[in-house]
Amino acid sequence: MQHDLTQVLRARPAPGETFPDLALPDHSGNPRRLSELAGGDPLLLQFYRGFWCPKEQAFFRGLVRLQDEAEVAYTRFVSVSVDPPEVAAAFRAGLGARWTFLSDADRTYVEELDLLETTDTLHRPYAPTVFTLYPDLTIHAAYNGYWFWGRPTLEELRQDFRHITRTIRPDWEVPR
Amino acid sequence: MAWLWFALLNEQPHGTVAAARCWDIEGRASGWLAAWSVSHDRPPGSLGIDVRAVDPGGAAAWVSLALAAPGERVLFDDPAVSWALRQTLAHWPWAAMSTLTRDSSTIGGAFTAIQASSPRALSDDPFTRLFRARVLYVDRGFVGWMPSPVGPGIQRYSGSPWPWDHFPTVTGV
Repeated sequence: MQHDLTQVLRARPAPGETFPDLALPDHSGNPRRLSELAGGDPLLLQFYRGFWCPKEQAFFRGLVRLQDEAEVAYTRFVSVSVDPPEVAAAFRAGLGARWTFLSDADRTYVEELDLLETTDTLHRPYAPTVFTLYPDLTIHAAYNGYWFWGRPTLEELRQDFRHITRTIRPDWEVPR
Repeated sequence: MAWLWFALLNEQPHGTVAAARCWDIEGRASGWLAAWSVSHDRPPGSLGIDVRAVDPGGAAAWVSLALAAPGERVLFDDPAVSWALRQTLAHWPWAAMSTLTRDSSTIGGAFTAIQASSPRALSDDPFTRLFRARVLYVDRGFVGWMPSPVGPGIQRYSGSPWPWDHFPTVTGV
């Protein structure tokens, strides 16, 4: 019975649920909260293994392309890993990413979120996972990226953000 | 409240939310930085500034003040302004930063601050490529501290000075 309860408590966040309000340092070492980062906008929340993973590098190249659309679309990105802030900052700069990276170097949330990649006992990283969130951190969609093709395409992300934006913006229809 | 009125003045201002004396890099007195509530009548020549960039309890700081020339009209949507905003998002070592709004569509300059023993880092202020800039040492009681913008957004919210990042009202799910 206790085992079952643990399984429930550690269930991965799923669509319709509210994502935990993470409190972590950003790539500059400043404390941030997920709710503050989301503000009033749709949010892409990405958990990645680390700078060293070629699959992450490939996925990030797509996100860097998407940021040229997101920068004018009132939509925010946040990327989370177990890399320390200075490593995340260097990776971010190398990518040309202009969004916030969070560091969970102490692995504070990796088990609570049930996102530990158990097959990598060397790095003990986050399992690659992408969430699209409403501003109040309600999960719209979740993508398991353990296999690369499980990750969202840029088109799927556009569709998610169209749906969220249409839901939250009262003036989605042109005001008359 | 997303923003305040902001100006650099020769004389000590009154009715302000915050005001502090400032000096140029050679130590010559350069006047006062001042900010007023937007409920106050707009002081002549003032510009909008993100409210978070101003703190009456703030520490002394170095400020890069890049201002459009009188009569110079630069649209916020000018690609050069977008470039400077992207640079700001990519590299944020600042204590505070705000674009300065002239009206709903034009930019009057930018306010960029660091708290450091030297103003050297301000040479990286991208807005100095767009506008004539001066570096000022500002006494305590004016400059705020703000977190880096979340990114990657470069659009203003209802005409507020960037990086203020909220619409006046937000609807839930």
